[in-house]
Amino acid sequence: MTADPKAARLQKVFPVDLDKFLPDIIKRNYGKWVDRRFHGYGIIEHISETGERVFTVKVAMPPNARLSADTLEQFADIADKLGVGAMRVTMAGNLEILTDSLDKALKIKEAVERMGFPVGGWGPTMWGINSCTAYLTCTTAVVDSPSISKALGDALKPYFTGEATLPAKLRVFVSGCPAMCAGGSAMDIVIVGQWGAPPKIREEALGNCLPPKRVLEKVQESQVFIVQVCPTGALSLRREGDKVRLVLMPEKCINCARCKENCDAFDYDPENVGVAVLVGGKMSNTGRGPRLGRVLVPWLPAIPPRYEEIVTVVRRVVDVWREHGQPGERLAEFIDRVGWQRFVEMVGLDKVHALYQKVPDYVRTYMHFRQRSDAWPRFRDGI
Amino acid sequence: MPPPEELLKRAEEILAELEKGQWPSHVKELRKTRYPLHIYGVGLVARKSPWGPGAVTVKYVNTGVLSRWSREWVPRGGEETHFRVFHTPGKFWKTDFVRQIVKISRELGVGLIELVGQTGAFVINLTKDKAEEMVDALRSIGTDVGGSGDAIRALNACVGPALCEFALFDTLRWFAEFHKDKRINDAIATPNFPYKFKIKISGCPMDCARANRADLGLIGVWEGAPEVDQELLRRKIEAGEVDPEKLAANCPSGAITWDKEKRELRIDGARCKKSMHCIRAAFPAIKPGKRRKVAVVIGGGVKGRFGPKLGWFVGYLEPNEEGMRRAVDLVFKVIEPWDREAQPKYRLGDYIMQQGIETFVHKAGIKLEGMPPLAKTGDEVPYAVLSKEEREAYLNLVRELKGRA
Repeated sequence: MTADPKAARLQKVFPVDLDKFLPDIIKRNYGKWVDRRFHGYGIIEHISETGERVFTVKVAMPPNARLSADTLEQFADIADKLGVGAMRVTMAGNLEILTDSLDKALKIKEAVERMGFPVGGWGPTMWGINSCTAYLTCTTAVVDSPSISKALGDALKPYFTGEATLPAKLRVFVSGCPAMCAGGSAMDIVIVGQWGAPPKIREEALGNCLPPKRVLEKVQESQVFIVQVCPTGALSLRREGDKVRLVLMPEKCINCARCKENCDAFDYDPENVGVAVLVGGKMSNTGRGPRLGRVLVPWLPAIPPRYEEIVTVVRRVVDVWREHGQPGERLAEFIDRVGWQRFVEMVGLDKVHALYQKVPDYVRTYMHFRQRSDAWPRFRDGI
Repeated sequence: MPPPEELLKRAEEILAELEKGQWPSHVKELRKTRYPLHIYGVGLVARKSPWGPGAVTVKYVNTGVLSRWSREWVPRGGEETHFRVFHTPGKFWKTDFVRQIVKISRELGVGLIELVGQTGAFVINLTKDKAEEMVDALRSIGTDVGGSGDAIRALNACVGPALCEFALFDTLRWFAEFHKDKRINDAIATPNFPYKFKIKISGCPMDCARANRADLGLIGVWEGAPEVDQELLRRKIEAGEVDPEKLAANCPSGAITWDKEKRELRIDGARCKKSMHCIRAAFPAIKPGKRRKVAVVIGGGVKGRFGPKLGWFVGYLEPNEEGMRRAVDLVFKVIEPWDREAQPKYRLGDYIMQQGIETFVHKAGIKLEGMPPLAKTGDEVPYAVLSKEEREAYLNLVRELKGRA
């Protein structure tokens, strides 16, 4: 430690010492893995050229990967007793417990299942549900993604454990607002919280987001931060005599929620709030490569605690894909093969889909901003 | 909004419902902690987030500390503070480390941990009064708080060679070396950019670290065709593990042909799009090629002015020491023009969309091997406001062409 506490704290302590943080069995076989084998769903065996084997057991975590210290300690006990004293956390929010024999792996599976945590994933199953934090801590969330994830998890659990299989891998992201903190829209099925209607401005809280009055009087509108963050120019300053007001033009608003992210004075009405369901995105370069998801349903109500409307649509999409998808075909590739229009018809949304397609305001406002780039056709393809 | 007692009662009903079912329940876990669960429940009844922005200051810690107050309509009220904490390489947790985290969480926090967030960090909940102590405690076990706001966020790398046969370069070493650069440290410690900046490192085209939607993503690839061990493949075919006809038919690039006579699989390297299909189906008889590269993608992201986007591929680095150094320099090369010119809350990708990728690459001075032609598809709209310079440039071009004729 240096004498200067400021300099000391600004020099971050990164946990990047491979020697210190990697388990011994991993260090011994680092870069030496030559083969893999699956043992049912949720157990994978990695074989090293040294002859050593590591068995990994994938355990589903509660929504938003929230664990109490007590439960985490129990997992550590299991990893010590039956494993090699190590676990791994995955980006999908699953916990993987490492061990060195199939026998122990099966015992780990049994132990965690007794605790109420299913084992599954890999192969043609659901690999997990990612959720943002939403009402657990977030100030801008419009719907509560952890409880939606819980409802979806209850409905889709057989696809995780492999009791029922899918054509290929499925991953679900549930985000509480258009910021999509659960991992964006490039995934098989994505649920995104939607405002449904333009926000209301809470005047009394607006002062925190605007420059002081004497500055506001002189400065150009385009230099005001909260006006800058609006991508469509729906927010503008109106000067009436010596008063300056922030005005929102609802017909220009596209509900992107960027104003809310940057200023607490914007409020939505729970009456209008819902979720959009996007399908057919993926990150991996498998098949025809990574792409963003597309909106299948622009709005559905989000009613806690069971969110039946959302669960119904997700189930329907999965059923259609299971029935018509070929083995190994991700949802994205399945939609590509049958065509978007046919897919919409299969799901049974063809009648209402047209309603959404007729919304020209989106197009107009975006075109204004995108005319000089190739983004416009991408956006048009997206809706 | 119902009266407070009614609100709390209905909150409890919803929470109880969320404990049922066969999927692990977050509410069950939260009950075992000192997290103010009634606030969450009330939010579910009201169907809006019960949290408003709060403030907590921790000395000389500028990122990674977040705090909330409950909204005024939440009966009994409460607060919530959490730290974003750096994950270990590959997110491996040895149990002694886990027990240290558990101890810190119990003694200084509220006994609640979020194992991973989408930045790739993990989160510990705490109470405000213990914040200073918690920072020191975390630093003493070898990790730290950081990565929020308009800074470089916690880096993310896939598990790489530590536990994966497909890793094409040493993602965890790169991950570690990135952190050792002073500039990266400073950019993580202090938010100074127009918006957040994320760096993700994936070992192969399957992109487990989701590098394709990072501001700067590094993805392991190879040049040419995958390597085929014909002998081993034949054995796999005889054992019924691999169907060569199917392998050829299902290749998304159409690069595979199966020679029935010679019983040989041929892969056309020029057509191979690195979808990993054959490799996954017939590993280790088919392996990634030997000439390894690290593909660089820039400008991806989810939050941003122009919505979600995947990154632009701009070329390759070598998977060696020099490539690693160049990758770190590249971070600051792409940040420089963005930081200088972009409006607040423009992600790098938004700025690139505004500038055009061609202009951006020129401005940032990026020169990489294998850089693809970056010309945008032409506009479908035939009118535009053009500056005098732009018009003259076109005029000069035509004059040149005339001279050539």
